[in-house]
Amino acid sequence: MKKEGLFNEKAIEEIEKARALWQGECLRPEDLESEQLLKSASGIPLRLIYTPENVRDMDYLRELGFPGLPPYTRGVYPNMYRGRPFTIRQIAGFGSPEDCNKRMKFFLEKGGTGLNIVLDMPTIRGYDSDSPQAEGNVGQCGVAIDSVEDMKALFQDLPIDKVSVSLVTHLPSTTVILLSMYMVMAEERGIAPHALAGTTQNDFLMETTIGSAPEILPPRHSFRIQCDVIEHATRILPRWNPVSYNGYNLREAGTDAVTEVGIAIANAQATAEELMKRGREPDSFLPRFSFFWDLHNDFFEEIAKCRASRRVWYRVTSEKLGAKNPRSHLMRFHVQTAGITLPSIEPLNNIARAAIQGLAAVLGGAQSLHVDSFDEAYSAPTETSALVSLRTQQIIQVETGVTKVIDPLGGSYYVEYLTSELERRILEFLEKVKSLGGIVTAVETGWVHSLIADFAYRQQRAIESGELPIVGVNYLPSDKKEPPMEIFRYPETEGRQRAKLKELREKRDKVRWKEALDRVRECCHEGSNLMPVVMDAVRARATLGEIQQIFRECFGLWEFPLK
Amino acid sequence: MGSVTQRPIKVLLAKLGLDIHWRGVVSISRMLRDAGMEVIYLGNQFPEGIVAAALQESPDVVGLSTLCGNHLSLGPKVVQLLKERNMEDVLVIMGGVIPPDDREELKRRGIAEVFGPDTPVKQIVQFIEEKVRGRDPS
Ligand code: B12
Repeated sequence: MKKEGLFNEKAIEEIEKARALWQGECLRPEDLESEQLLKSASGIPLRLIYTPENVRDMDYLRELGFPGLPPYTRGVYPNMYRGRPFTIRQIAGFGSPEDCNKRMKFFLEKGGTGLNIVLDMPTIRGYDSDSPQAEGNVGQCGVAIDSVEDMKALFQDLPIDKVSVSLVTHLPSTTVILLSMYMVMAEERGIAPHALAGTTQNDFLMETTIGSAPEILPPRHSFRIQCDVIEHATRILPRWNPVSYNGYNLREAGTDAVTEVGIAIANAQATAEELMKRGREPDSFLPRFSFFWDLHNDFFEEIAKCRASRRVWYRVTSEKLGAKNPRSHLMRFHVQTAGITLPSIEPLNNIARAAIQGLAAVLGGAQSLHVDSFDEAYSAPTETSALVSLRTQQIIQVETGVTKVIDPLGGSYYVEYLTSELERRILEFLEKVKSLGGIVTAVETGWVHSLIADFAYRQQRAIESGELPIVGVNYLPSDKKEPPMEIFRYPETEGRQRAKLKELREKRDKVRWKEALDRVRECCHEGSNLMPVVMDAVRARATLGEIQQIFRECFGLWEFPLK
Repeated sequence: MGSVTQRPIKVLLAKLGLDIHWRGVVSISRMLRDAGMEVIYLGNQFPEGIVAAALQESPDVVGLSTLCGNHLSLGPKVVQLLKERNMEDVLVIMGGVIPPDDREELKRRGIAEVFGPDTPVKQIVQFIEEKVRGRDPS
């Protein structure tokens, strides 16, 4: 016998009749025609209105339940923001470690509750500040880190045993080095590993797909290092998230909401399977997985995406990975608002865009948040624009009242319909990736790259044709040309970093340094976990670029598939 | 309007140095192809690599894309190296996130034009066609 849904058959029949009447008598034919074309940003067909008819089969306890309980649609913690407000985690990253340290202190003074550090291009891609490749990019777009000494300067006087720290390391191959530097820095400051709370990004798609570069490690090796970091860090850092599966960057590069979540979950599932092959129990590492979403313009779809992704993750961890520990099922995620939606034209309008996206993140139950600044299309934020972003978060947190009630949009016929539809499409996407041989293969063959590039191209054409309206850009275009604002300029950093590197290289114990690097090389070939040997090399004052160069020599380089 | 037999304009595009942001340049490369141009996208290259490719391909246009702040250190270097190889006729243009003040500086140092975010690609197509066809009315 069919289980009775939330609404009985008779009630649904009455609603159906009433809706038909409303449609026939109150709507114009052109309203119904326009309904045919109505779609969410990710292409889900939409109706003019949602009623109990659209959620007639919903099984409340199986699909929604209560926050902190399966399937976690309504939130990962029972008391959500009453117990733990979302972390206000604005990005800081420019110049030397000393420069960046000041911006982090500024955020904490103004009420920021977590740190979020981005690195300069040479650091992200594994080059020292004095390498030829780094020329002109040192301290630009992020902070320069060459050695553990820089890590010490970066966190000088900051309470890292109390505040959680996100290191936006992107690539596994630099994560293994930078997380080692972070741990050695803490060790030398006398802070115990169990006191360190935070996140490293560590996502092999960042190394091979989302960003292009002159030298790229092969996907399989990058994936191995991703798993090495997680395997090792979950043993020794009980409060660290060694990975943040990064849907954000995928979306910014060019995907819809379904693919954003689908690829991130496919990667998380592949990691879990690999660690299980290495003999680890899923419950020993799954509680430390974390995720990263992009909150884009389609307000309700984005909220539904947050809810659907929690439910999908629960289905994956419980049904596919056999996890038993409730903490293994919790999809905890950080959000950044969508930089790609912020144009250079009439930049102050971006305050409104980012606030609305930030609000969606909170309605979606995010654990931590960065709100982009209005000067996004120009440079790193100035202190002024960064403060507006920080204040936007605080306005959402304490003025709007949206954090009072848990999952306040739960039960909206529309949001529930979108949530179920997104869940279905994400699960379908996971099947597709599986049929292609898994996520690592889908990257190796360039399938993921093409998917993203095709989407980005279509989007660009839709902007140019006006099909995708952007206020002030292609919709009611602005006649203003110059930005009425200050643009952030990066402080000169290269000279200062070079001087520090010269001193480090002169002072370090050369024998110990060389032996440590030799062990890294051996380990690359042997295939045992890289993290312990990299930590030793960092202790011996090996630099980021020196260690990364060994990876390049041992693993070889890979040709980026987009032409 | 050019005649039907006209050889397509040849464009060499590159991501400059370590910049990872490929979304814009990959979309542009397809849209320039849609506009009938022959486009070779080199991926990430430093100035030496770009100029070596230019020597081989003899393009009409070299287009550099950067969103990560290396425009002043690497952009003019491409112009200078092209000059050293007697390829000063090649039109060098740039695009990406480049602060307005730096655009003037780049133009002083030999970049023909700088296209910032939100530039319609048809404007880029028009600029290239005017400059290249204007110079070489074959
Ligand atoms: C999308 C994006 C990303 C994506 C890139 C994905 C990809 N595959 O491309 C992701 C999320 C991965 C990313 C990462 C980073 N990003 Co980013 N990103 C952006 C963003 C939001 C949009 C860029 C974009 O694609 N726009 C759409 C395309 C179509 O536009 P476009 O590239 O500008 O191209 C247009 C024009 O510029 C021009 N054009 C471009 N190239 C060329 C070339 C030629 C020849 C011509 C004629 C024209 C032309 O024509 C195009 C059409 O109009 C910008 C901010 C912004 N709104 O611009 C920041 C931005 C570029 N990023 C920035 C930074 C700092 C980063 C990071 C380095 C941060 C960090 N330290 O971790 C990381 C890199 C991490 C890594 N893994 O290495 C900064 C750069 C700051 C600066 N220059 O001073 C920006 C400006 C944001 C900010 N204010 O902080 N980013």
